[in-house]
Amino acid sequence: MKMKELMRLQGICKVFDKGLDELVCLDDINLTIQEGEYVCILGPSGCGKSTLLKIIGGIEKPTLGSIVMDEEVFEDGIPKSHLKDFGFVFQQHNLLEWRTVQKNLRLNLEIFRLKGSVWEKRVEEMLEIVGLQDYANIYPHELSGGMKQRTGIARALVHDPKVLIMDQPFGALDAITRNMLSYEMLDIWKKTQKTMIMVTNSVEEALLVSSRILVMNKKGEFISKIVNDVPLKARDEKIAYNDRYNELRKKLDDIVHEIQE
Amino acid sequence: MKGNKKWLNIVSPVILLIVILVCWELYVAVSGIDARILPAPHVILSKLGERFMRDLSGDFLYTIQVILIGYCISIPSGILLAALCSQSKLVTKAITPVLILMVVIPMLTLVPILQLWYGYVMKVRIIVVICQAVPIICLNTLRGFTKVETAKRELFRSMGAGRFKTFVKLIFPNALPQVFVGLKLGCIFSTIAAMSADLAASNEGLGSRISVYSGMLMTDMAYGTIIVVALIGIVLFMIVAYIEKKVVIWIK
Repeated sequence: MKMKELMRLQGICKVFDKGLDELVCLDDINLTIQEGEYVCILGPSGCGKSTLLKIIGGIEKPTLGSIVMDEEVFEDGIPKSHLKDFGFVFQQHNLLEWRTVQKNLRLNLEIFRLKGSVWEKRVEEMLEIVGLQDYANIYPHELSGGMKQRTGIARALVHDPKVLIMDQPFGALDAITRNMLSYEMLDIWKKTQKTMIMVTNSVEEALLVSSRILVMNKKGEFISKIVNDVPLKARDEKIAYNDRYNELRKKLDDIVHEIQE
Repeated sequence: MKGNKKWLNIVSPVILLIVILVCWELYVAVSGIDARILPAPHVILSKLGERFMRDLSGDFLYTIQVILIGYCISIPSGILLAALCSQSKLVTKAITPVLILMVVIPMLTLVPILQLWYGYVMKVRIIVVICQAVPIICLNTLRGFTKVETAKRELFRSMGAGRFKTFVKLIFPNALPQVFVGLKLGCIFSTIAAMSADLAASNEGLGSRISVYSGMLMTDMAYGTIIVVALIGIVLFMIVAYIEKKVVIWIK
């Protein structure tokens, strides 16, 4: 597969003001993301991985550091004109309760001012991709947790972003739904060929879906970058019997265990 | 099961009301109390039916006008004021105690002052209604406008939505449950304010009728007028609650 650089983070730092103290959340993050990658970021809670995603997705600005995209250097976070390149999936579904499923998807089109039949059709296509085509006119409170999160994923995809950013997207779901959605995510990745960046706290989940895994420690530094070379063909219900999977899993478990101490 | 409970919700208060009326009726019959002090319910209702069109319909229309005009001006004013204040955290903090103060002050105290300026006109009472209803509508709406989940704000920020779009597509619809709390309280406050303004200004309106009837020892008609006032308030409240149910469908 030919690799093309999509974005590069250079020396990203994030410091929060807390009265007199300054809380350093991210310290000198350097990261290059290739087009079509599925990057998973693993790390203990409070290590700043969510903040990193927010900086990548343009929700927060970095205190220091720059982002390079399409040979342009952004010193002050992602500018408004490039926000359309990103789709954000939140930890809790974060749907607007007063809008039906399809109108929740339309929200992005309305804000990005995308009009026309092409986009109308895209709403339907995205609902189909997450298997919710029959629920277009249902309100969020009538959906199950898994369906809400699926709607959230479809919404993040609807304006055709280059990158899908997911902040522990399955964290609020039960184990069975979580597992099912992981397989679906893998499927969506194959179908849409989008670049994915996902924060997770599950080693198994990361190994199932990703092409690269980054491990962050409590200080907000990457301590390990692993290429996940478990073949795509092997990533199904029997992935637990794959040798490479078990090898990587043991390695990652050890790393994660070390951070906790 | 669920349908059964809904049915109970309507029937149980009606039964309670009937029980109270029966007790009242019995008490009047047994104790032989003077009808000028406590008339029996059936007397009140029959007197009211007999005399409503002749004696009360004019005051009824007058008061209804005061309440409706005042309330209908208060709704957009209260919401607009809240929308403006919510744009700044400082203004929100500054105005909240002022609003609470205005909710607490009985606005009928304005009647004598306003009459000095305007004389005995309907406008005075409408102003009283507005002064009483706007703060309560504004206070509740403001609470709704300022309480938006961080994640939802982030969603809008992730798309670079501007202030106006964020307000129209997020803050306002998100606040609708709180807005309706304000609107429901607002219609009650409007009714109360119109009544108290009537009492203070006298000469016209249902409120002044009550004091006139009591003064003439026509206690049955005084009670009857109170029933009419209560009905105005209840019907207004039910209309707003009905609209709320149609609009705020996501909260059961």
